[in-house]
Amino acid sequence: MLRRCISAEWMKLRRSRIVWILIILPVISVWIGCANYYLNQEVLTKEWYSLWSQVGLFYGEFFLPILIAIVCAYMWRLEHLNQNWKMMMTAPISASHHFLAKWIVVSVLLAFVQLLFLGLYLLGGKWAGLASNLPEELAGWLIRGWIAAVTIGTLQLALSMRIRSFAAPVGIGLCAVFVGLGLYVAGLGMYFPHSLLTIGMGVLSQTSLSSGNMLLFAVMNLFYMAVILLVAIYRMCKADVVA
Amino acid sequence: MKVIGLELYKWRHKRLFLMVLLFLLAEIGWAFAVTRISITRNPDQAGWEPLVATISAMNGFFLPILTAICVSRICDMEHKGNTWKLLYTLSVKRSTLYMAKSVSASIVMGVALSLQALAIVAFGIVHHFAPVPIWLLTRFILGTAVTTLVLIALQQWVSMAIKNQTFALTLGMVGSFVGLVADLLPSGVSKFFVWSYYTALSPITSVYADDKLHFVIRDSSLLWPQMAALLAVGMALYGVGSVHVARREG
Repeated sequence: MLRRCISAEWMKLRRSRIVWILIILPVISVWIGCANYYLNQEVLTKEWYSLWSQVGLFYGEFFLPILIAIVCAYMWRLEHLNQNWKMMMTAPISASHHFLAKWIVVSVLLAFVQLLFLGLYLLGGKWAGLASNLPEELAGWLIRGWIAAVTIGTLQLALSMRIRSFAAPVGIGLCAVFVGLGLYVAGLGMYFPHSLLTIGMGVLSQTSLSSGNMLLFAVMNLFYMAVILLVAIYRMCKADVVA
Repeated sequence: MKVIGLELYKWRHKRLFLMVLLFLLAEIGWAFAVTRISITRNPDQAGWEPLVATISAMNGFFLPILTAICVSRICDMEHKGNTWKLLYTLSVKRSTLYMAKSVSASIVMGVALSLQALAIVAFGIVHHFAPVPIWLLTRFILGTAVTTLVLIALQQWVSMAIKNQTFALTLGMVGSFVGLVADLLPSGVSKFFVWSYYTALSPITSVYADDKLHFVIRDSSLLWPQMAALLAVGMALYGVGSVHVARREG
């Protein structure tokens, strides 16, 4: 049943043009980051690492969280329209399948965004004439970034399910970006989803995570995902819908 | 007036002002922290100029997305509730409904900008800056307000014309990006982007010379024509948006 729910979610996205939005934002982030790197090469001397610091800063710190919020709000948009909640809740499908199908689709879309970002980063590096080897941490940044992005996606899906307005969860997501930034600066980055993304993608500090921190990173992400999924599914089962 | 009153009445459970306030707190907190660090490092630069320049730069990033969110929420409630048909059957002109939405969005952003201005004055007084430069702050507020009004006109058109708010919010996000990097773009390019005017209309600009950042007060005679041109663009966007939305099927 879950597979059929996932294919239904894909069908809903078929003519949504969401792919354009998934493409536009990483392209702009990488473009500006590369231009900034190119113009300041005398200061930014660490080649691929410096380029990552430029392209990753805006993408990982601001635009990816907002992109996630927009995608998640879009996933629930149809349910909030035309009394569709009632139709969905009376279908012979469990609440967990409804939520998990959306969660899996969002995770796949975010993986696509991360891969696109990788491709653009490599292209940008070639354009800037970087000849050195790629950073060995690159795969780690991307995978950890994806895991943290899925955690934020879980939170945003739960918010967008609860709040009918399209823009309000995006606004909350943006406020959370700044809370995350503050917690990261205060050294509490491991305890908040949005600062987990900053740490995971090596946006502000590109030093490798210690094995202890890596474990804490994985545990915190799993914890947030599990708790939010459970609460959201429980709420879907128990609370009445507003269509 | 009655239509605007009803528009405001629709928000009573929306917590719109709370969201704007949280957003503003994040922006002002960040700007003040940056200014405080700058003052600690360069005590000779403790004054209104760095503060206004920092807030202008931050506004370029924060206000486009905040405007997009506010306008989207105000317009989306009609899309979500399927109330356009209901509204269009009332004995109220479509252009009046459009104007009421525009005015109510302007009220929200006006409150936000007023709070921001008060916070700037309070920060300056607490840090014993020179007497409050009324004329400088007035120019800053005017520039920010005009840019925000134009953005409201643009966002309202998109939010009302396209039911799917993904596009309106993406436009807001792209606008934030342009606002953030506006100063890095050549002036011939940046003048075509509405979002770049948060810094372009700021009364203070920064110049890097002698290994140091200097803050220069812009000549106001250069800003007025820009402000007037921007306002004309805003009115054109409003007019085209109003006509376009009024002519389409509800």
